[in-house]
Amino acid sequence: MLKLKTLTLPKILILLFLFVMLLFTLLPIVFMITASMMTSRQIVRMPFNWIPEGFQWENFAKAIQGNDKTYIFLRNIANSLIVSTTVAVTTVMLAALTGYGLAKFKFKGRNTVFMMIMATMMIPFEAIMIPLYMVVMVLHIQNSYIGLILPFLVSAFGIFQMKQYLTTFPSEFLDAARVDGMGEFGIFTKIVFPNCKPVIATLAILSFRGQWDNLLWPLLVSQSDKMKTIPQYISNFALERSTDEGAMMAAALLASIPMFLLFMSLTKYFIGGSAVYESRKG
Amino acid sequence: MVPKKSYSIEKKQARWGFAFVIPSLVFFSVFNFYPILNAFYMSFFNRKALSKAPPKFIGLDNYMRLFNPETASNELSFINSLKSTMVFTLGTFIPLLILSLIIAVFISQLSSNKSKKFLQVAYYCPAILSSVVAATIWMLIFDPRGLGNQWMNILMGTPGTDHRWLVDPVMEQVSTMVIYFWKYIGYFVILFITGLASIPPTIYEASTIDGANKWQNFWRITLPLLKPTVVLVSVMAMLQCLKTFSTQYMLYSNGAPRAPINVITFNIYITGIQQQYLSRASAMSIVLFVLMLSLTLVQFKTTKSENVEY
Repeated sequence: MLKLKTLTLPKILILLFLFVMLLFTLLPIVFMITASMMTSRQIVRMPFNWIPEGFQWENFAKAIQGNDKTYIFLRNIANSLIVSTTVAVTTVMLAALTGYGLAKFKFKGRNTVFMMIMATMMIPFEAIMIPLYMVVMVLHIQNSYIGLILPFLVSAFGIFQMKQYLTTFPSEFLDAARVDGMGEFGIFTKIVFPNCKPVIATLAILSFRGQWDNLLWPLLVSQSDKMKTIPQYISNFALERSTDEGAMMAAALLASIPMFLLFMSLTKYFIGGSAVYESRKG
Repeated sequence: MVPKKSYSIEKKQARWGFAFVIPSLVFFSVFNFYPILNAFYMSFFNRKALSKAPPKFIGLDNYMRLFNPETASNELSFINSLKSTMVFTLGTFIPLLILSLIIAVFISQLSSNKSKKFLQVAYYCPAILSSVVAATIWMLIFDPRGLGNQWMNILMGTPGTDHRWLVDPVMEQVSTMVIYFWKYIGYFVILFITGLASIPPTIYEASTIDGANKWQNFWRITLPLLKPTVVLVSVMAMLQCLKTFSTQYMLYSNGAPRAPINVITFNIYITGIQQQYLSRASAMSIVLFVLMLSLTLVQFKTTKSENVEY
């Protein structure tokens, strides 16, 4: 359709527009990376110099040590990794189990169960966080991994995805395995689960990212510095008066590395993961 | 013998099916249905955390208080919260919708698959950063000496002006919109590209033979056929915007004034968690829930009646 060889004015305008939007999306990220290598005086210099002079290792040292030299950054990033990974694992497992049950078994009330689960998609977390916070207080699980993880064990969206995917899974395989005397749970773990890899990947990424990005719930649950997660660390660190801008960007960059790595290695599942929402419209 | 056996297999199957769904069902009952019912129940009391006195039933007082027109003059009132949420939602989702549609159409016009792929990934990049990181980056850009002012001054030819990004009430709202727009644009571009890809190219071929130009193609074919995607994307974008919290939290904690960015979720957080008015915050939660529920129902209705046949 659009050939670079035959450039006309509208085509140039289109390319120009795409290029300007590209600058808009990428420059702030480039800014974070270059600023993390600069002194705070270089960062606010006018006009901004995009090529850093030298490399401020101190920024990264400061980001990791924190202003009070407690190295709580390491603990917080570990917390985020633990919480996000656990949520990704439980979501995938439970969603697969439930999706399989809904897709391949006939039982009384199956549709009711499915509708109930779908209905929870309409309950925003922000609307139930106050009662959940009270549950946490009653159970005394504030400042614990259990408290951070519990409300996110599985998602209705994940179940929906799994069910859609498994409905097309050939039942003959399952029947054959039953004839061979395989137990129902064995069929699930050995035949069904290994065969939903694409959904597992998408779902694991979505849930991992959801928790990596979560600020609101940890803000409610984790008051002690040891149990805070990385978004809390970044926000606290950025707001401390003694933090300089370079260290702030270094912390932001370090906190983004896990997601960047995931994105680079699994790009198609990220992009596909947002496209699967499309299927909801049917 | 045979029918009896198959009956028992069916029964066994039903039992297994139920066993597979029961863990999730328990989970959703405890962590979704119970909390929303509890929020509803609590919104009729005057419960305050750490208060020894037992909560008293006060009927609709919490709701009356939220929607009391006399409080409108108070800039931190719930009515103003609703207003700032509305401003933020409309101000973010309309540009998001229009620009992501334009970008998606332009990208799908490109001939090389490599540049298509590259642009999609590049636009998507901000979405992998967490909201807190996004806010931190933009807080530096919006610094009085930062890039925001430098760019704006070049664009508008106003050298040396400080646009007071994080100080002026209107600019502060604009700032939150820019941050949010920046983070989600790539995500919506991809949704639209998926939608565009589902339109069969033969339709365009036919219309081009009939003498239609690109512009007519877009208005007469692309847009009508894309309507379900447009509805889906707008509702999703709106729901997403109604739940915004991190950006506002970051800006406020950084010293920006609270009133212009006191969106509903932020108000719930301050009222319920910081000020410990649990019942009042629950009433706000219910209002948020009803708002989002009605939006979702609108989406269901429109998508059901608008099934397009190619």
